[in-house]
Amino acid sequence: MSVSISAISSIGALPLPPISGPAATTGAVKPDFSSMVAQGLEKLQATQSTSDNLAVKATTGDLTDIHDYMIAANEATLATQLTVAVRNKAVEAFTEIMRMQM
Amino acid sequence: MSTFGTMDAASSGLVVYRKWLDAVSENIANMNDVRSTSDNAFQARYVVAQAADYGKAGGAQVAGIALGDAKGRVVQQPDHPLADAEGNVRVPDIDLADQMSQLIIAQRGYQANLAVVERAHDAYSAALQMGR
Repeated sequence: MSVSISAISSIGALPLPPISGPAATTGAVKPDFSSMVAQGLEKLQATQSTSDNLAVKATTGDLTDIHDYMIAANEATLATQLTVAVRNKAVEAFTEIMRMQM
Repeated sequence: MSTFGTMDAASSGLVVYRKWLDAVSENIANMNDVRSTSDNAFQARYVVAQAADYGKAGGAQVAGIALGDAKGRVVQQPDHPLADAEGNVRVPDIDLADQMSQLIIAQRGYQANLAVVERAHDAYSAALQMGR
């Protein structure tokens, strides 16, 4: 009784795609981290100025919708928290790299 | 939809219900206005709400204000200074019970939208706690 076992094909024969360098993968221009942070800060600035304008309207009595200010203030708070969280994570990553053993 | 799409949609809903509350309060305020029969009666204000285009700002918006019957009701009130030769005056055809139920619906709708804002705030805050 004989069972024929086919030979194991070598790994090199597997149809793996060739590993390309990082320059090859970025065909389209992707925004880098710093410009993303800058954009985020600009949006945060806009959110906060909206909230500020509505606060001024509330004090001068020009505010038609009370909830407008409350929601804008809410959004400004959340956007600030998000920005701070992103900044903290970036600093964390940086210190982690700096601690690397050479 | 932007980052705070939920809040923006709820905000537009709040505007609709606030306008509805305005309309109801105006109707109740003018409920007993008396006019002479040659004039139009106070016309009840009805808010016409519709969905805003989804994908852009989303939410709801007020398409316009519909007006009630200008004829109102003709009431016999001979001692009224505005009464005509037959002793009739014109009063608005506004039912207080109907307005009160509309008031409660508008109030509950406003509160529901506020609850959405609160829940969205909680959800976003929870997302910010991720990985801490």
